[in-house]
Amino acid sequence: MNDGNVMKGGAGTGLLVISLLVMVASFGYAASSLATHGHAAFNASSNVPWGQPISTYLYFALASSGLGLLAAIPLVFRVKAYYPIAKRCIFLAFIVLVSGMAVLAMELGHTFRMLWAIPFGMQVQSAMFWMGVLYLLDLLFLMWKFQRLEGKDWDSKAARQIGIASFLGVLLASGNLALIFGMMSMRPFWFDGSLPIYFYLTGIASGMAALVFYTYLAYGFKREAMPEPLQRLLTGNLPVLFAALLGVTLLFVLVRMVTGLYSNMPEVSLVWSDYILASPVYHLSLWGGLLLPFLLLLSPNLRVQSGVQVLCSVLVFAGLFAERYFFVVGGQVIPLFKGTWAWDIIHYTPSAAEWSLTFMGAAMIFVLYVLGEKYFNLSDSPVTTAAPETSRAATAGAGA
Amino acid sequence: MAKWGMVIDLDKCTGCQACTTACGMENNTLPGENWQDVLFYSEGEYPSGQMKWLPRPCMQCEDPSCVHVCPTRATYKDMNAGGIVFVDWNKCIGCKYCMIACPYGVRFYADEKPLVEPDLKNIFPGENGQLWSPPYQGPDEDWRRGIGVQPKGVVSKCTFCYHRVSKAPEGVADLDEDDPELVEFVPACVRTCPPKARYFGDLDNPQSNVNRLIGNKRGVRLRDETGNRPQVYYLGAGAGVPAFQRRERS
Ligand code: SF4
Ligand code: SF4
Repeated sequence: MNDGNVMKGGAGTGLLVISLLVMVASFGYAASSLATHGHAAFNASSNVPWGQPISTYLYFALASSGLGLLAAIPLVFRVKAYYPIAKRCIFLAFIVLVSGMAVLAMELGHTFRMLWAIPFGMQVQSAMFWMGVLYLLDLLFLMWKFQRLEGKDWDSKAARQIGIASFLGVLLASGNLALIFGMMSMRPFWFDGSLPIYFYLTGIASGMAALVFYTYLAYGFKREAMPEPLQRLLTGNLPVLFAALLGVTLLFVLVRMVTGLYSNMPEVSLVWSDYILASPVYHLSLWGGLLLPFLLLLSPNLRVQSGVQVLCSVLVFAGLFAERYFFVVGGQVIPLFKGTWAWDIIHYTPSAAEWSLTFMGAAMIFVLYVLGEKYFNLSDSPVTTAAPETSRAATAGAGA
Repeated sequence: MAKWGMVIDLDKCTGCQACTTACGMENNTLPGENWQDVLFYSEGEYPSGQMKWLPRPCMQCEDPSCVHVCPTRATYKDMNAGGIVFVDWNKCIGCKYCMIACPYGVRFYADEKPLVEPDLKNIFPGENGQLWSPPYQGPDEDWRRGIGVQPKGVVSKCTFCYHRVSKAPEGVADLDEDDPELVEFVPACVRTCPPKARYFGDLDNPQSNVNRLIGNKRGVRLRDETGNRPQVYYLGAGAGVPAFQRRERS
């Protein structure tokens, strides 16, 4: 089986070479800019300390968490119809997280110092300390889980326990990541106890987009080439779930927007009215990257078409990248404690070096992805010949 | 141990920025990296329009949010140093979370595009791990407390001139620049202030002049709603920051 996987052949090798080149080139550019100009190579500053590299890291970390949560559908909740995506989800979650961490490592002032300063500091009050702990655990559990699946251990007690541990790890890691922002009462644009839910939703939506895209890519965008249970999932329950996720994400974004605009507080309302909604890029990402795919996937006829699914996955992946960027930068554009001394909101656009880190991270995902498709059977599943009835019963369970 | 506090009388302050200049000289900060700054505000319109200003050091908060968020304990509040909040440049990883979390915007990364041109980092390139190496450097260096010329990739902030204050005799209630015995231990901004708008002393000592001023002249802490409880108090009218609004430059 799995003969249709084009990544195993020359196309995969071609993609590998191209993405490797992009990765090396963008890494080289970022590293040499940092070496010659220090962090002045970035447009992030004391006024906007967290720029695009941080939002890229955040985006990848959450997409990884989203993939981890999707993998829990079969591996924790035992919804058998989703077995065919489990292994690819776990693998993608791992490589997307590793790539995100690579971007973060290039952004920090002293990356290697972090390796001892965080464990020795044991500053349990800091959400960023917990980010380190929880994402490390997440990474380990993903690796362990993948190793189990690689050994065809889908259903043993131990495999199930690792699956549950990994699921909890993902929930805690991404929830805590949200609180890094959500607990900052001095930054009212972010201060929000329900932020973990917003992060789960956007994370799982971007994870779904990544999953759909990379699954199609593995088979040269030809669904006929895929194993039968995978085809059944892509024409059955999965696009419905995709649509539902986009719907709830949209709702959450819109509710945040309305509350923000309604507020009298300039740190919140001006961020929405004069920064976020004043940007054509944001409108494009919201209406083109979330609403349009949602509408396309609502239609029972359209949502089963491969082309529509791939298009939606690309739109959502790009749309949520922008959403994340505006979230991170938006929390910082009103000058802090400067009152009427400052004339205008702070303008920040990523520099070439900051963009190159985003490209580096994205290219790294492609490199690791092709290697994964080449060396593992990511479409492996214990239910290669599941009867349609079983799968229907299972998908009903997923909808609940 | 004392609990060092600063009192700034806005009725006396002329907004001359001598404190800002003295701080930069004393601490070898880059132009624009103003650990101490004076913020100018305009509020209202003719005939009730106002021009206000407000000197702003690090507030050395009693409950500092910058300390809570720092994942490495590089930022710490030292109760044995009068409650001053320091950055340990040997531990800081440059994650900048503290800059996100400080409500007063008083922390600087400096390893960034120059805040003021020309870029002195190019004119005096850094040596021995320093971000820049100016020809004149203060004699005191203590990276564990963020004192000296800042290295690359870390965050810096006001230290209440700990390198001076720490040499004061034990138990002194106030560090008054008019006292010839104490003048060398007074923070640079306090010492230089021409109209004597700044006072520095022990908030734990009931006899201290700073406590008397706070009590008698109704001292306030800025943005007290954040719960950070600054160790810097303001006296006089106009202690408050008008809310941000966008304006057209004419
Ligand atoms: S003013 Fe800011 S930097 Fe200073 S102690 Fe308070 S929170 Fe920390
Ligand atoms: S930038 Fe340095 S001082 Fe600030 S939170 Fe990070 S490690 Fe701590």
